[in-house]
Amino acid sequence: MSHTVKHTRKPELSLDEVVAKYPHFPRLIALKIDVQRRGVHYTEKALAAVDYSIHQMRSPYLFGSRDGQIKDLPESLLLRDGTTILTDPTPVEQDPYLVDLVDGKFALVDQGRFVEYTDLWPKPLYYDKKTSSGIPMSHIASARPQRLNVFQSSYCHFWAEDEGCKFCDIVTHTKQQKSELGVPSRLNPGDISETIREALKEPGRFTNICLTSGSVLKGKELFDQEVDFYIETLQAIGENFTTKKFPSQLISSSFNEKQLARLYEQTGLMSYTSDLEVLNEGVFNWVCPGKASKLGYQEWKNRLVRAVDIFGRGNVGTGLVSGSELAQPHGFTSEHDALKATLEEAEYLAERGVTTVFIVWVPRPGSYFHDQQNASLEYYVQLAQGLHDLRVKYNLGVDFDDYRRCGNHPDSDLSRLL
Amino acid sequence: MGAHLSEEIRELLASQDTTAVLATVDAQGSPHVVAGVPLRATGEGALLYLEYFESSLTNKNLTRSIWFDGKVAIALSNSQGQSFQITGKPIKNHITGPLFLEYYGQTNEKESLNLAAVWEIEPLAIRNEGVRFRKEQEERTHPFYTHLDRLTAA
Ligand code: SF4
Repeated sequence: MSHTVKHTRKPELSLDEVVAKYPHFPRLIALKIDVQRRGVHYTEKALAAVDYSIHQMRSPYLFGSRDGQIKDLPESLLLRDGTTILTDPTPVEQDPYLVDLVDGKFALVDQGRFVEYTDLWPKPLYYDKKTSSGIPMSHIASARPQRLNVFQSSYCHFWAEDEGCKFCDIVTHTKQQKSELGVPSRLNPGDISETIREALKEPGRFTNICLTSGSVLKGKELFDQEVDFYIETLQAIGENFTTKKFPSQLISSSFNEKQLARLYEQTGLMSYTSDLEVLNEGVFNWVCPGKASKLGYQEWKNRLVRAVDIFGRGNVGTGLVSGSELAQPHGFTSEHDALKATLEEAEYLAERGVTTVFIVWVPRPGSYFHDQQNASLEYYVQLAQGLHDLRVKYNLGVDFDDYRRCGNHPDSDLSRLL
Repeated sequence: MGAHLSEEIRELLASQDTTAVLATVDAQGSPHVVAGVPLRATGEGALLYLEYFESSLTNKNLTRSIWFDGKVAIALSNSQGQSFQITGKPIKNHITGPLFLEYYGQTNEKESLNLAAVWEIEPLAIRNEGVRFRKEQEERTHPFYTHLDRLTAA
């Protein structure tokens, strides 16, 4: 499938203008945001310099990309300060940054102008291995520079009821991945345990394991079956450690206290994230109809606050798909209003020990919002600064979801200074 | 690279007898100084600082420096009176990749410290702060900077 969408952006401040206007905001993080907003396109010269033996190529992922294609491209980029950029390959007509070769080194280039040198993600050794059941290990756990991702199930039950989140392309992408790469949509705990064991043989390579998947609504109580799957997977992963707890993150549906207590007590899990996606009830109801109808915004939020009693302050978070709150026709109509509303809600959560992080929304062809646009660079810079300032104000850590253990949140990149 | 690491400095860096001190600046502009830090020289003339504590103030200050073009200072000295100060700027933070993994392997073999980062520092200026060198230099360039009694017959 390959839809390309031609976007015409409203006039907005460029990277240099934003950096000049916000001199206390790191240029490298502003660049990361801009690269995420606009995506990247690899030039032929850059692609010819890719070395499959040392560079990590794209591996199966839960969500698709802006070009709607599964191509053998480098997975992503690292900046010189250690900042990870998760990028989307983007059709050149949509004005992405170019990844080119400058003086023999990979570099980000914009409008013919050199911007920064960049590294490609290094390939972990286990990517060349298969499980004893014959599955490539890169299909079981995908790597970031310092983190392992396990997507145990890539189906989301909200989609079955036509209530998927409007920015999300999980099911479209899963089908494509299954037919083009043969990636299983449900992983076996034995394969996961074996893959993690192999990945850990490379010393110094990983600092965190993150689990996430689509929502599973089934069970005696809502999400009970999802909890069971995670417990089974986390226990399988835990076989590889000598300690009961290991640095880990779960990004899941919103669980009740009984479910959270089971997760905490029966597994090595150290943190818990459940994404509200947008921090405004009215917009949430429109953008996330499944979450709204099955649980509702207020209860989703309350469950996050209650999770702090179990996992502790600074170990509970919620994620935003930032920019989708400005989708039309029912989102905020001004970035100013969206920012104000988002930071007010984030402050309510921060006061109660829940930390808020965002990802830069990439409108993808396989999602309902495929023809919308994300927000301006200035908006994202203000949001990142605002969320960071809340962590400073409430002395709230975000170690489990920072530049290294995640790498996909410009706001928690700033917490390197906390 | 801005300043050249001479053979003398490379030898100092490699010697067990050398004390290395790293000074960074915090958010308020206050200096933060740590002695006995692990430093290496690269073939390309940069310095590598091995950071074992991700939460250290030095690590934060280095991050701030790479973000906002701040500088650091390094002092190297030994028991023979050799002493140099190197002003530099952090140019790369290796938290993964071959260089990081190489040092991670070495430190894990020797000690049970957890390597957090390898900071690459570009030397910008080098000053010889050795006592013999400074004494000869000051006498030559600032003949007024002395006490008169030192110029009398003993
Ligand atoms: S809960 Fe929403 S964002 Fe998450 S997988 Fe389902 S539809 Fe996608």
